[in-house]
Amino acid sequence: MIISLNWIKEFVNLDGITVNELVKRFGLSTAEVEGVEYVGNDIDKVVVAEILSVENHPNSDHLHILKVNDGTGAPVQVVCGAPNVRVGLKTYFAQLGGNVKGLKIKPAKLAGVESFGMCCGGNELGIEADTSGIVELPNDAPIGKNIKEMLPIEDVLIEIDNKSLTNRPDLWGHYGIAREFAAIFKRDLKPLPKEDLAHYSNLKPLSIKNETKNCFRYTGISVENIKAKVASPIIKLRLNYCGMRDINLLADLTNYLMLEVGQPMHAFDNAIVKGITVIETNKNLNMETLEHETHTIEPGAIVICDDKKEPVAIAGIKGGLKSGITEQTNSLLIESACFDSATIRKTSRKIGLITDASLRYEKSLDPELCPIATARMLYLLKQIDNGVKVTSSFTDVYNYKYPTHKIEITADFISRRGGVKLSDAEICDILTRLGFEVKVNNEKITVIVPSFRGTKDVSIKEDLVEEIFRMYGYDNIKSSSMNMPLQPVDQIPIHTLEHQIKYTLASMFNLNEVHSYVWNYTDFNNQVGIKQESVVHLLDSSKSGQSGLRTALAPTLLKTVFENKNKFSDVNIFEIGRTFNELNKDNLVNEKRKLAVVLASDTKTDKELYFNLKQMVEYISNILVRTTVYFDKANDNKMYHPVNSCTIYNGENLVGEMGILHPTIAKNIDKRKHFAVLEIDLEKLLACEKSTFKITQTSKYQSVSIDYNFLADKSMPYAVIEKTLTDFKAGYILEHSLKDIYINDEILNGKISYTINFVVTPKNKTLETSDIEKFSKRLIDHMANIGLSLRA
Amino acid sequence: MKEKIKEIMELVKQKLNSIKKSAEGQALRVEFLGKSGKITELFRLMKEVPADKKQEVGQILNNAKQDIEELISNKEKTLQEEELNAELNSAEKIDITLPTPNCTGSLHPRTIVQKRIEDVFMSMGFVVEDGNEVETEYNNFTAVNVPENHPARDMQDTFWLDNGQVLKTHTSAAQNRILKKHTLPIRAIFPGRCFRNEDLDAGHENTFFQLEGVIVDKDVSVGNLIYFMKEMLSKIFKKEVEVRLRPGFFPFTEPSFEMDVRCPFCDGKGCPTCKQGGWIELCPCGMIHPQVLRNGGIDPEKYSGCAFGLGLDRMAMLTFGINDIRELNSGNLKLLKQFKPEE
Repeated sequence: MIISLNWIKEFVNLDGITVNELVKRFGLSTAEVEGVEYVGNDIDKVVVAEILSVENHPNSDHLHILKVNDGTGAPVQVVCGAPNVRVGLKTYFAQLGGNVKGLKIKPAKLAGVESFGMCCGGNELGIEADTSGIVELPNDAPIGKNIKEMLPIEDVLIEIDNKSLTNRPDLWGHYGIAREFAAIFKRDLKPLPKEDLAHYSNLKPLSIKNETKNCFRYTGISVENIKAKVASPIIKLRLNYCGMRDINLLADLTNYLMLEVGQPMHAFDNAIVKGITVIETNKNLNMETLEHETHTIEPGAIVICDDKKEPVAIAGIKGGLKSGITEQTNSLLIESACFDSATIRKTSRKIGLITDASLRYEKSLDPELCPIATARMLYLLKQIDNGVKVTSSFTDVYNYKYPTHKIEITADFISRRGGVKLSDAEICDILTRLGFEVKVNNEKITVIVPSFRGTKDVSIKEDLVEEIFRMYGYDNIKSSSMNMPLQPVDQIPIHTLEHQIKYTLASMFNLNEVHSYVWNYTDFNNQVGIKQESVVHLLDSSKSGQSGLRTALAPTLLKTVFENKNKFSDVNIFEIGRTFNELNKDNLVNEKRKLAVVLASDTKTDKELYFNLKQMVEYISNILVRTTVYFDKANDNKMYHPVNSCTIYNGENLVGEMGILHPTIAKNIDKRKHFAVLEIDLEKLLACEKSTFKITQTSKYQSVSIDYNFLADKSMPYAVIEKTLTDFKAGYILEHSLKDIYINDEILNGKISYTINFVVTPKNKTLETSDIEKFSKRLIDHMANIGLSLRA
Repeated sequence: MKEKIKEIMELVKQKLNSIKKSAEGQALRVEFLGKSGKITELFRLMKEVPADKKQEVGQILNNAKQDIEELISNKEKTLQEEELNAELNSAEKIDITLPTPNCTGSLHPRTIVQKRIEDVFMSMGFVVEDGNEVETEYNNFTAVNVPENHPARDMQDTFWLDNGQVLKTHTSAAQNRILKKHTLPIRAIFPGRCFRNEDLDAGHENTFFQLEGVIVDKDVSVGNLIYFMKEMLSKIFKKEVEVRLRPGFFPFTEPSFEMDVRCPFCDGKGCPTCKQGGWIELCPCGMIHPQVLRNGGIDPEKYSGCAFGLGLDRMAMLTFGINDIRELNSGNLKLLKQFKPEE
């Protein structure tokens, strides 16, 4: 919203305060200022001049050669292209050496004829919207007078961020902003000059019926005999400065009122609309607006109808074409009304029509503004056209009145919340300046909230804390530490684990962390052959492009590989994120915290990648979680290689799956790369039973190291051998390790040879040869239990 | 006897001259001084020496033994030195300036910033919580005092799901659960992924990270909030920062503030990061609305609290100079690989 400082100064004296100070204090106390623009100072040497003669230009069919009297003596010759030039017309004339918004006025030749100045259009000067010709000034405009003495064109425009006014319906007009400035700088707010509506209470009321609870207040008054057609130059100037356009007297006045008081108004042609019925429509309605656009209004919207129940306006948003003001209009029915904010917002969004009026109604306007706006409107209308006659009483249908909020506070409460000691007097002073009524009674301060703050913004004690301290100045509050007891803090283990895993994977395993979106990429999945069904979906996927939420992380990572495949020979990435796999009995999503890793390489083999993954899983489980997992037979997830993939278990609990990517999918993503994929459920992993640890006492006796070559069937997983080795007990301290694997089908008859090294340490005596022989025999017998024999 | 000793000494010297390696010294030692060495043999002959000569001969033998040991040791030392010199002279010069395998891993910039901030909070006694990504309408809106008709609840702004839940629109969705879970006083932060139904551009994402914090105790004041934010931001930016509050409006706090920090990149002089304004709008915050406390089972007459939010995306962008928010979810490894892991 753009605020004209000149307009503000009509209501509050801000002498002695710099614009910087105004803007800074307003920003710190009230709302965000987005920009400050100084206007009008780029207009110079523009004066009132009269056209003395008009001649056709010899070389042009639209240019004319004028002689003008600019009050400097001799007539000045000027070439002008405006169609409305005529002898006797007074207009704004930019003299040589002058400036019109950056255009420097110099002697020039136009189509061969010399020109010593410029006649100005209202649009060129920024004072009117009109672009059709040069400004037409009244006949009594004094020749030679500078435009700056005619019109306050030098102004400061302050742009306020609309968003930061969301909760301040009272600040959507200049008068409200002026009230805020008055409070901030402890100046007086001048009353708004207006008509006394009580003068007309003896006139016949209008027929106004309100049939919906969502119209809180509807007021109307009718006037006739309007002769004037255009608003005053200053009204036009202010409308243009504040980002609107001047149109005609009545439209300009309603807009001016809206910018000044913050109350949207509407003027119906009283010849067409004789009475009002406000309804909530229960069927679709079509309405052509003033802009010649037809909108379909859905049930639930508030519609203004005339006394014949013909719709004439979309309440709070836009007037209809049929009842609108025309050149012929000379009698009006002036609406000043208040509607339910949510209803206006919903209708406005549904029909896609956001107007200056609807923006204001959305903020919960104060219904008490209705008569104020009407009274001000009549005042301004009569100033412009004193022949205007009011033909009805001010007719007021007041359906819903907001409750008056009465709040009790104490200086102690305010001081404790702010952390600054304030006295009753200081508190009362601030609240009074803001328009609150206060009564102090025995340490209790009773505060009555003014109606313009009471529609939604201020209703509880804490709201007053804000009012008081934003005026006191947040920058005047001293920072102070808290007094909290010292106590140990238990961090959340899963959160800690997530960070540990991320750091480990990045620093030790050279993985790159990525973040992706939580939805399924169905196009990508279909393209490469991944099946992923979603359990929950977005209701509106128009902006996200996808609707199903992911049930696995790995497919999004594969998409990332796909997007990076031509940039890198190796892509090793991971993500820790959520998947959405099931609904519980209350129909709520059970989220899973997952870790997914994808390794993709041009150079490494499937086997290398697969073992890389295993190493990561073991590091995470053994070192970070302190548990043990084992790798079971192929998982049935079709995304994986049917032979070379596995499930990851701890005890009976499935904690994850990993493997080589299914070759079909792999080829679809990148023909050159090998892929391995891992996905673990972190909460399940963390829930695993922790490994217990007891130290082994060391021995002072000499150890013996012995290698055994065992032959095993190729089909036997090494894990079975490992478990059998671990289970072997012989009364010694034993350590074993796999030293070598030897495969040679000819020599070994299709079997596989494992070289197992044992380090045998006696606990309490020196090992004799006979002891070792005995040990070896027992070990070989033990291994024979699972079909292993010693290689000859 | 003397003659024999003289002969042996000559032999020793001769043999010593011919050895080339220090390790050969030991063989000489055995030959002359060992169990059946030439000198040892002579000691055996001592019993044949007349008693009055025994002392003299014994002395001569002992001297000879010492002399031989000394000769061998000296020779060994000399050879060892030569050998060491030869070894050093022939050592291969290792070019330690050759590269080692680099750490090519990386953490997401959000993770780095998040961890740094979490560490600051943890050092101040905060618990780090994190909430769900899918939330109930109650937790996301109602519990934090978002009115029934608030635009944020609209389909245009929020990702609603077909089971009636929402993708959480802000970390505040976790507030209710956290207020209920912990005993007073509460100091908690909760980072998390948030979602808004928005069109993407350089400044807008539909999926982004926030970090929110709450402090609840008796008489928590605006002054406390300012103190706390100033300390925290000074730690994060690793320099004393200045903060200021401006009025803001959020349904879950009253009063609500926008917190600006004096631009830490130019110390407020004006730079592109602060758009020449000298201040950066960083942190929406406020005193927790009494209704939010009540919904969390806390009596707002007895307790008060403050809450604050930090956009982790924005913090990451500020910290690392990332200009387009869309980079963060892009999976663009050319960018992401630059962020070295830090603990």
